Amino acid sequence: MAMKPEEALRAIAAARGDALCVPTMTTAPAWRTLAPDDQSVGCVGFMGGASSLGLGLALARPDRRVLVFDGDGSLLMQLGSLATVAGAAPRNLVHFLFKNGVYHTSGAQEIPGGGGVDFVQMAKGAGYRAAYAITDVAELQRRLPSLLREEGPILVELHTGLADKTPMTDRGGVPFAEQVERLRGRLIAS
Amino acid sequence: MPESIPAPLIIDTLKDTFREARASLAAEGVRPRHDHLGWILSVPDTHQKSVLAALDKERTLRVLTCSTEDEANAIAAGLWMGGEPFALMIQHAGLYASVNTLRGVAMDGRVPIFYMIGLLQREKDKEPRESRHSMVRYCEPLLDLFGVPHARLEGPDDVRFIPEYYRLAQKRRGPAAVLVGLETA
Repeated sequence: MAMKPEEALRAIAAARGDALCVPTMTTAPAWRTLAPDDQSVGCVGFMGGASSLGLGLALARPDRRVLVFDGDGSLLMQLGSLATVAGAAPRNLVHFLFKNGVYHTSGAQEIPGGGGVDFVQMAKGAGYRAAYAITDVAELQRRLPSLLREEGPILVELHTGLADKTPMTDRGGVPFAEQVERLRGRLIAS
Repeated sequence: MPESIPAPLIIDTLKDTFREARASLAAEGVRPRHDHLGWILSVPDTHQKSVLAALDKERTLRVLTCSTEDEANAIAAGLWMGGEPFALMIQHAGLYASVNTLRGVAMDGRVPIFYMIGLLQREKDKEPRESRHSMVRYCEPLLDLFGVPHARLEGPDDVRFIPEYYRLAQKRRGPAAVLVGLETA
């Protein structure tokens, strides 16, 4: 059985240390609850941009680890970002891909290619340093310490079910501009 | 009549612009984490190809070639949060392709993105709004529609607009653009 995205995020939250995080779409509501502190910025209002937003952070701050929580439908919208990330080769970037095979937020329509799209092969083909698929939360918990130390860019495809909430069923959260301002304030002060 | 601008003049102006930006960041207390002056986020533009060719040999400006203009906008937001100076070099067609990201990142996100936009196929003897090419004709009206301030680089004297519109983007916390009128020399 596929892992719950909330379980995966909880495991990552426990292991992340001071990593900067970039959630998007269905990972955003749960991440707000799990990490309200926070050193995160959500990709809100420009679907598909999470990997690029994370890349910019990773390039600007090579001293900090950056974790992207992407979706399969989201990544397909800007699939070329795999090549851009690989070309820039940020050693501090971990690209988690929450793969559920559907556009959950808009009503769970199947993504092009459905669950058969192999993002691990795509990331490797684009030039990521490594890419892995993980299917259960126990394995994720076991591997997280090394994944978060590994030289990037790496992609971790997480096989998940549907989240409890989507940005449409849980519309809370801080507007993107305020998130940007808050994280910039924290980063330039550190 | 518009004139082509030599690539070295544009590059020197960008360097000066980024030096000034670094000084402002230092005044804010930002510690530099890179040796270079700033980033050029590029989706290669035929109109500015002599600049891109010269940038290949340039060590003080770091060029990141992006697959799409959408990516360039989002990367810019990450660099902004991390305290890095940058400019986007794209083509008018790329502006049209990335309108949602311009809106979502630069406008709604209040990220000060400075664009250099090439007007490929602009006729030397015509105002862009009178061009027979729709991709030339619609560029300034689109920027006006979105309230993005812009100036045209119509010759070497106009490179002054590069630092001016870079500063304007910072001041208004949003997008600002210069349009490259003729192919760079």
